[in-house]
Amino acid sequence: MPGLALSSVEVVYDKVFLAIKGVSLEVGEGEMVALLGSNGAGKSTTLKAVSGLLGPERGDVTRGTITWDGTDLLRMGAPDRVGRGIVHVLEGRRVFGHLTPDENLVAAYSGRRGSQPFDALRDQVYEYFPRLKERAKSKAGYLSGGEQQMLAIGRALMTEPRLIMLDEPSLGLAPVLVEEIFGIIRHINAERKLTVLLVEQNAAATLRIVDRAYLIENGQIVMSGEAATLAKNPDVQEFYLGGGGKVDYHAVKHYRRRKRWLA
Amino acid sequence: MAYFLELLVNGALVGLMYSLAALGFVLIYKSSGVPNLAQGALVMMAAYAAWAMVDFGLPLWAAVIAAAALMFAFGLLVERVLLRPMVGQPVIMVVMLTLGLEILLRGLVPGLLGAAPKPLDIGIGLAPVIVGDVFMNRAYLVGGVVAVVLIGASMLFFRTRLGTKLRAVSDDHVASWAVGLSVERAIAISWGIAGIAAVGAGVLWGSVQGVDWTLSSLLFPAVAVVILGGIDSIKGVFVGGLAVGILGSVIPGYLDAYAGGSTRDVVTSLIILLTIMIRPYGIFGREDIERI
Repeated sequence: MPGLALSSVEVVYDKVFLAIKGVSLEVGEGEMVALLGSNGAGKSTTLKAVSGLLGPERGDVTRGTITWDGTDLLRMGAPDRVGRGIVHVLEGRRVFGHLTPDENLVAAYSGRRGSQPFDALRDQVYEYFPRLKERAKSKAGYLSGGEQQMLAIGRALMTEPRLIMLDEPSLGLAPVLVEEIFGIIRHINAERKLTVLLVEQNAAATLRIVDRAYLIENGQIVMSGEAATLAKNPDVQEFYLGGGGKVDYHAVKHYRRRKRWLA
Repeated sequence: MAYFLELLVNGALVGLMYSLAALGFVLIYKSSGVPNLAQGALVMMAAYAAWAMVDFGLPLWAAVIAAAALMFAFGLLVERVLLRPMVGQPVIMVVMLTLGLEILLRGLVPGLLGAAPKPLDIGIGLAPVIVGDVFMNRAYLVGGVVAVVLIGASMLFFRTRLGTKLRAVSDDHVASWAVGLSVERAIAISWGIAGIAAVGAGVLWGSVQGVDWTLSSLLFPAVAVVILGGIDSIKGVFVGGLAVGILGSVIPGYLDAYAGGSTRDVVTSLIILLTIMIRPYGIFGREDIERI
């Protein structure tokens, strides 16, 4: 299964703070995989380790390997990794706010040898996100949250990725928009065989669209498997999916249920 | 009235030459988000470079091209040696670094090439151009035209693909890395281009007042221009330059007789102060977009 493989990766911030502790995961070519977990579990750190964006936050991969199609990524700088087909849609969208959506797409287009012509790529983005085309000439900073998320994904697609990593695309969006954006991601994954690694807190919506998922807590992978299997797991239901069905208040226990995977 | 017109026109032309010095500042800020307080020293160094080339025996046009190449290379070197280790550090560290560079170059370049003022003859006659009753300084007129051309060229540059990428980098470094833009290369290119712009300012100012360290004190009016016009706006450089030049010429033209001279620096300082108090991002500068 060629694709992305992380093997016991450790990331340390500021040389003291151990943020992820031996994370191993695999994402096969064309697969759609989610990395679920709560705040501060190490989801974003894992993505940044793959895309090479730990540097500005004084983070460093101190142990483990990250390979993409068998090549070692850790030696490469961030722009080279994008050149290899890995793109990271950052948490909080981070569009170029003072540029128009059109210019955002121009900025992300590499124009290197062997890439598709700019117009073809842009038309494709506007086909996925027609709403962006309507607002192509206004400043991106003034777009709505949903439109900015669409732009962030569209901008990432301009780099002609083979693996797209999305960091909480549902953050701060209305459920109907989350539905729409997840639908488009699923569509792109199916249509272009684009590999997707999706980081989310919104487990309910995510487990409906992905093939497999990993569950990360305190910097460690605690569970993994097919999305359907995970969704049925009673612990996942209790802690990530908001419990199942009615609660029988006679049977309520007055102590917190312990997560079974914590030894 | 003729006196007022003369102050106005010459002030406007001087202002455009300030714009030329300020252009490098804006080019760097707009394309990498770094405030470059070494711009005065870059202008001085460019003038020294052009003078040295002419002194070496090159014809003027070749000297200007050679100086431009040299300053471009120097810009790349600054990025590689000084700025790259600063990536991801707070912006105040970069500000102090450029200020240190300014001070270093002010001492180093005249120290190596000679501190006495050197003439740089670019073949502009001394006879003023006379339109109606107004006498215009011929060197300022040429400077004004060159400034307008270079400002126009910069505006066009930021519409190209490369220019758009540089603007993107100034917007968000991390997001730029995430889509494969090399922030380091963008900063290097912007410093190189600013070096070339400094050649324009250095040669013209050098021909007017001679080449020595005082050229680096152009930093002061240049900073006034960018603060008034907006720190990342090429249009602002043009308008800010005109405003600083005209105010700095007309007001001293009437007040110097009473105050005993040197009110120009007072005017420049007041422009900086009032702009920051009333409209901190300048006339055309971008406000930081905040959505709620």
